[in-house]
Amino acid sequence: MPLDSRRICGPESTQSPHIFTVNKDIKSDILLNGERKDGRKLDQIRPLFLRPGLISQAKGSAYIEQNHTKVICAVYGPREVMRKEDFSMKGQLTCEFKFATFSCKKKRQHQQDAEEKDLSVQLLEALEPAVQLDKFPKAQVNVYITVLQNDGIALAASITCASLALADAGIEMYDIVVGSSARIHGDVMLVDPSEEEEYRSQDCKDVNEGKVVIGLMPSINQISALTSKGEIDFETISQAIKTCIQTCQKVYPVLQNALVNSVKTKT
Amino acid sequence: MAGLELLSDQGFRIDGRRSHELRKIQCRLGVFKQADGSAYIEQGNTKVLAAVYGPHEVKGSRAKMLQDKVLVNCQYSMATFSTGERKRRPRGDRKSTEMTMHLKQTFDAAIITNLYPRSQIDIYVEVLQSDGGNYCASVNAATLALIDAGIPLKDYVCACSAGFVNDTPIVDISYLEESGGGPELIVTILPKSEQIVFLEQNSRLHEDNLSKVLDVASKGCKDIYAILDRAVRDHVSKVSNVANTTE
Amino acid sequence: MADVNYSEAEKTFILHGIQDKFPCREDGRGCEDYRHMEIETGVVSNTSGSARLRLANTDILVGVKAELGVPSPEKPDSGCIEFFVDCSANATPEFEGRGGEELATEISTVLSRCYDNSGCLDLKSLCIIPKQQCWILYIDVLLLECGGNLFDAASIGVKAALYNTRIPNVTVNQEDDEMEIELSDDPYDVNRLDISSSPCIVTLSKIGHYHVVDASQKEEACCLARLMMGVTAKGTISALKKEGWGSLNPESIFDMMETGKKIGQVLNTSLLNVLEEEEKSGNKRKTVGFLK
Repeated sequence: MPLDSRRICGPESTQSPHIFTVNKDIKSDILLNGERKDGRKLDQIRPLFLRPGLISQAKGSAYIEQNHTKVICAVYGPREVMRKEDFSMKGQLTCEFKFATFSCKKKRQHQQDAEEKDLSVQLLEALEPAVQLDKFPKAQVNVYITVLQNDGIALAASITCASLALADAGIEMYDIVVGSSARIHGDVMLVDPSEEEEYRSQDCKDVNEGKVVIGLMPSINQISALTSKGEIDFETISQAIKTCIQTCQKVYPVLQNALVNSVKTKT
Repeated sequence: MAGLELLSDQGFRIDGRRSHELRKIQCRLGVFKQADGSAYIEQGNTKVLAAVYGPHEVKGSRAKMLQDKVLVNCQYSMATFSTGERKRRPRGDRKSTEMTMHLKQTFDAAIITNLYPRSQIDIYVEVLQSDGGNYCASVNAATLALIDAGIPLKDYVCACSAGFVNDTPIVDISYLEESGGGPELIVTILPKSEQIVFLEQNSRLHEDNLSKVLDVASKGCKDIYAILDRAVRDHVSKVSNVANTTE
Repeated sequence: MADVNYSEAEKTFILHGIQDKFPCREDGRGCEDYRHMEIETGVVSNTSGSARLRLANTDILVGVKAELGVPSPEKPDSGCIEFFVDCSANATPEFEGRGGEELATEISTVLSRCYDNSGCLDLKSLCIIPKQQCWILYIDVLLLECGGNLFDAASIGVKAALYNTRIPNVTVNQEDDEMEIELSDDPYDVNRLDISSSPCIVTLSKIGHYHVVDASQKEEACCLARLMMGVTAKGTISALKKEGWGSLNPESIFDMMETGKKIGQVLNTSLLNVLEEEEKSGNKRKTVGFLK
């Protein structure tokens, strides 16, 4: 990874102190007596706060907050394609996903690392099917996502946030993409996992540990994004996908409401 | 080099070759279907793949286009697992860039470039396993690939290296012999006209010995030419046989 | 992706072929058939393990190198694997310079996601001294020619190369507080990796209303969305990823997953059979590499 020479960076090989704290009770089990640590039910999602249109310079923007997960998104365009090689008769969408340097437990670099690049691609693939790209030929729309604080499911929150921002920007879409995630932990399924509950390969030893993230367009019932991690049984993973779909359906009216409200306040 | 005798008193080298002996060469033309021409060569443990695309329209910036002749575009890369210690990048480092440049110069001299003005020929070389003589194997592989692609050449381009140990010139040196620190001479010739298209020498060698080493290396090139020529003839006759039987 | 522009008519032809369910695909395959595959292990002697896979026109060379390193503080008691994919310009001129990087990172992230769980490969056995020394497996995938379905091919190549990997035995000598590692000189005193539960990727491409496995380059050009699955021999799924600019109906996703699981299990077992068969022929086998 080439380092940014224009900024003064800390030493290259620092480690977060959190790695060395031996907190066995967190590592041992994510459930306390069959209940989640923050007191939620297994299928209960965290309270959702949505606010479209808060960045005034951007064409469209949105902010999402789910307890400690905070994501902000700005959308610019449609605007001219800068590079001549990128010319195409269809509209183009670009996504840039970035964790703010202070957003995670470990410090993030100023430049995109491999994980952020991967998330950018996933986000792009989640949004592309929803956007009517043929409406803005020879132009592009840029989506910039910044995670301000990461407390689990940054990708799912970003999908929701970005599609809200696209809608706020007035980009024509077939539907809003709603993201949701589930953590699979043995026989139980934890919807909308927090950072503590999220899947980390090093802590898990058994089969059926993992996570699923989906992006759903609820009114046309199409899945635009689907990723999973961890070794999971076929039946369990199908069940998890179904659960995620249900969660998306539940969240959908909230999104619609937020958009309608924002339009009302604008006029 | 202490403790390592590159040439024994009986005149044998570490891998059992005599001083004038080449390593075993095996090659094959037409390895890939998509490339216009491709070839694979094994020189001992050095294994190289080459692919040729073109002649085609100049890609990228128009400024590179040449009005009177074809643009020869080369890329030399080494697989990250090709060397003893893992390489971090397959290309882009100084050595690969230099190699790319050498290849370009070599083939600029060998291809009949004025036949295709305002076009481009790509030569891509990939070293899969390296055991000395990477440049030589690359040139030989690229020649075969160019022939497979049907691009008019002035002649075969054959490259061979030579070293100088205990007052004896040794031909086609391996990695071990290269790293011994002795002189290394790399020659690329067009065997029929005996013209030298590329010549490089590393480390110190007395002037009196230069012609001796050069002779040995040129001889190596001609031997390689014989092998390449046979491979090409075999390949062509095989291809034409297949064509005849299918007709 | 190495894009080739196909005409609308050609795309429609392929689409109709699959829709009509008549021998179905442009090359006469059924929807769930793989193309001819050739595999050979131990082709690069500089590596700890290597394999070359040719799936129709797709040509992939995988080299595994085991090197000593320090375990990451997050996993102090296990070794690491690192994937690196290089798209050689040999495959297509578009990959020249940094042109292939995008595709390369895509392949390497999917691969590392497939292996990012404790079940697929026993990384604990790669640890030598916890917190101090471990084996790092560098898995380098070299893409030499692309004829479609690169992800499946890469994963099969990786699995074969891991099967072929031999890691020298080490002994740890403790002297006072100093740990000393001694590497065995004997080339036969080696450890093998257990790959019985490593995944293979199965990519299902949605073309029209049907899905096919092992899409050729032409079919990939017609495909709107595809689902990549890392499937182990047990039938568990180690990674799932939807790709492409189309979206999928939930029902068809479940259908595709069903097919993928079935195909993946067969693929895993037949791969293992082939590898064991090759192993049995032992030293007598002559490596052909690219000479055939």
